[in-house]
Amino acid sequence: MINTAQDLPEYKKRLKRALDNKFLRNAMAAFAAAYPEGRARALTGVDFEALRVEIARGKDETLPRLEELYEAFKAKAEAAGIKVHLAKTAREANEIIAAIAAEGGAKKIVKSKSMTAEETFLNDHLEAEGLEVVETDLGEWIIQLRHEGPSHMVMPAIHLSRDQVAELFTKVTGTTQEPDIESLVKVARRELRKHFLSADMGISGANFAIAETGTLGIMTNEGNGRLVTTLPRIHVALVGLDKLVPDLASALKILKALPKNATGQVITSYVTWITGPTECKAAPSGLKDLHIVFLDNGRLALSKDPVFAEVLRCIRCGACANVCPIYSLVGGHNYGHVYIGAIGLILTYFYHGRKNDRAIVQNCLNCLACKAVCPAGINLPLLIKKVHGEVLAEEEDRPLKNRLLRRVLHNRRLFHFLLRRASLAQKPFAREGFIRHLPFFFGKEHGFRSLPAVVRTPLRDRWARVAGKVAQPRLKVALFAGCLVDFVYPEQGEALARLLQERQIQVDFPPDQSCCGLPAKCMGEMEIAREMAIQNLKALDPADYDHVLVLCASCGSHIKGTYPLLLKKEPGLGVKVQQLAEKLVDFSSFMTEVLKVKPEEFLGRKEKAAYHAPCHLCRGLKVTGPPRELLKVAGYEYVPAKNEEVCCGMGGTFSTDFPELSAELLKNKLDNVAATGAELLVTDCPGCVLQLKGGMDKRGGKIRVKHLAEAVAATRKEGSKGK
Amino acid sequence: MDSPNLLQLLREKAEAVQVVVQEITDLAEACRYAVEVTSRQGGATIAAPGWDPATLSLLKDICQAAQIEVLTENLREQASRLHTGLTLADWGLAETGTLVHESSSEDLRLATMLSETHIAVLPLSRLQPDATALEAELNGLMHSPPRYLAFITGASRTADIERVLTLGVHGPLELHLLLLKD
Ligand code: SF4
Ligand code: SF4
Repeated sequence: MINTAQDLPEYKKRLKRALDNKFLRNAMAAFAAAYPEGRARALTGVDFEALRVEIARGKDETLPRLEELYEAFKAKAEAAGIKVHLAKTAREANEIIAAIAAEGGAKKIVKSKSMTAEETFLNDHLEAEGLEVVETDLGEWIIQLRHEGPSHMVMPAIHLSRDQVAELFTKVTGTTQEPDIESLVKVARRELRKHFLSADMGISGANFAIAETGTLGIMTNEGNGRLVTTLPRIHVALVGLDKLVPDLASALKILKALPKNATGQVITSYVTWITGPTECKAAPSGLKDLHIVFLDNGRLALSKDPVFAEVLRCIRCGACANVCPIYSLVGGHNYGHVYIGAIGLILTYFYHGRKNDRAIVQNCLNCLACKAVCPAGINLPLLIKKVHGEVLAEEEDRPLKNRLLRRVLHNRRLFHFLLRRASLAQKPFAREGFIRHLPFFFGKEHGFRSLPAVVRTPLRDRWARVAGKVAQPRLKVALFAGCLVDFVYPEQGEALARLLQERQIQVDFPPDQSCCGLPAKCMGEMEIAREMAIQNLKALDPADYDHVLVLCASCGSHIKGTYPLLLKKEPGLGVKVQQLAEKLVDFSSFMTEVLKVKPEEFLGRKEKAAYHAPCHLCRGLKVTGPPRELLKVAGYEYVPAKNEEVCCGMGGTFSTDFPELSAELLKNKLDNVAATGAELLVTDCPGCVLQLKGGMDKRGGKIRVKHLAEAVAATRKEGSKGK
Repeated sequence: MDSPNLLQLLREKAEAVQVVVQEITDLAEACRYAVEVTSRQGGATIAAPGWDPATLSLLKDICQAAQIEVLTENLREQASRLHTGLTLADWGLAETGTLVHESSSEDLRLATMLSETHIAVLPLSRLQPDATALEAELNGLMHSPPRYLAFITGASRTADIERVLTLGVHGPLELHLLLLKD
């Protein structure tokens, strides 16, 4: 029933269709706006960071002991009279459940929501065995009637309108149903009540399996989970092995985070704790016939994987989809297979195979929004790239761009030679810093922004001229420029040099530095990313400097966040990389926190400036206050824009891989900026500058786009030395 | 947190999820309240499983006058007739506005699940700050199976159609919380 695109051309067709679906777009946009507010409200007074660390630690302690916990659970549950089964594969789980139904003479089954049952395609299996299966969660029932898969882990029918539901319910009941939500809910109450009362068997999932007592914990809002586990004489719970927790305390910790993060509720309406078969007057014995089927389906192996075990920390809150800019553009049916959102891009590979993942896994901006809200502290963006790497490794041919990258990137001389050649080749087309005719291999979908020209003289060749020796420097810093500042926007580096030299700071440009390697990581080429990290560490010895400055938030967050992960096993380098990470500082933090610049050092021009927060600055380096603070110190009137921290759609190579999606995100961004009435748009990542400047040029907008370093250099009082 | 603050928090959190909160001084008041709500809503039955004989006979007396039938057992067979469920909660959790019912008895469970309006009485001596404060008690119950423990916070709800909050999808449409000073 679920059919996920298996190649890029097909996937892009579907993405286009989703972008054209007005209802979906509005529904997703409304949700994207409402979710963060609800979540923030629910989390008021909760130390989310502390809770996240606790949940992650708890899971990490549990994962290596899953088998042991399973045995403990089983012993307790069996002693209480529960029948416990272990299914190695999805198919085995379905067969076990079908056999339980057959043995108990069950014909009709009511089900409450279970992502694990979606994972195994349980309904298909049971229906093929001639059983009647009725989903009882309203959203699940709707999509079951429509023969669709869920488009969200918590709100499976979020892609549908009340009109579509009314039409569907009219068909189901045989009487006309008005598109009024309250009465539609009543229809479901009435129809499903009949099923609850006449079913022989109930199937549920579970949020927790508590080993110490053999208890299941189930969270629901509608109350269907309680009816499913109460009315029919047989109850089967299908539970992933990853739901095992040692004790009640661990479950309560997760309970504290899950509903707040999932739907902005302090707690779900119902939390049900079942230990052993309780009274059931429909059962011949007077007690429920209770079965628990634990599903492995790769989980035990995954729990031992040195890199990917982390994904089993997931508590299925769905937040990583809720905040994902791509999810909010195209919806869940285009952003996952069974599991949806960031975690879906990863789990699909393990639970539903490479073919279903190979197209969707490429559709990630690496914007870090998912990582920032995950209550289990899973490094989702990095794992997405690693899965992408695994997928590539198994493909027969790597895409052309990957092959080129592999040949060029790790040879700095060749790479820089080619960049210089590009500057010559584009010369006839370049004007005002933009390429005015796109090269033939770009299709028209790439025309949503003007592309910048590669400069003739990169920053590295200008450095000796712009940044001379400072006689008695207060500080000695190194600039890690990154490719864009070096070869496309050297003026950003020059602005920095001017500001720092006046303040008696020696800034060096270590000449052997190269690309930070982030593009390689983003294309799933982890090996090259690692080589680039080693090269740069050799080029720039952190011991020589007080600070290492970056103007590019993406380089900065890659070096600080990912280098240590890439090089932790490298003898000697692990230490250096830690030192580098500790000395690395972004421009705004350096100016406000290290130099502590003051308004007197700048002209108070009071120009209205909007700010775009680069993903890799606000979430990657977790720097949010300093850039806004610096804007004000430098004499600008900072005007806040809506969704300042939402990705601009650049995402490195993402914008050339998925230009239509990138264009939409850029449009939203520029619309929000235009609404502020700003004269200037400032950001502090050259990648974002490229995207925003190109988009602004294309739409003929009047707002100038600048890197924060340029904006600050522009209002400095000439000769102001600071202190 | 001292008890007036706990009480305040419970109220706040319960009302935030559309619970009707009322303070009462004795169980007779609870019975009168249930009868009044049931009559007002045009209901004909009150399911009252698990009550002590004295309270039950009190309830029956008031119901008789109002021509409301009291149901105490075999609720499964009368599923379509349940209007009000009147139950005694085992604990309250202030932090989340939650009621805890040890509902291993099927009739008690059904009264809280199938009724249109659920009215729960919570003796204030049973109010706890949060689930963690109740951990030992809950653990004790889980160690003596079989057990069906329910945390109930507000009425049954859904937002599955266009994310519009709608109450009473499968369980009760209303939850009333009667706080008994004991
Ligand atoms: S990194 Fe951004 S684009 Fe990628 S999955 Fe996470 S939220 Fe979505
Ligand atoms: S990966 Fe994290 S954010 Fe996503 S569903 Fe799992 S726990 Fe929630």
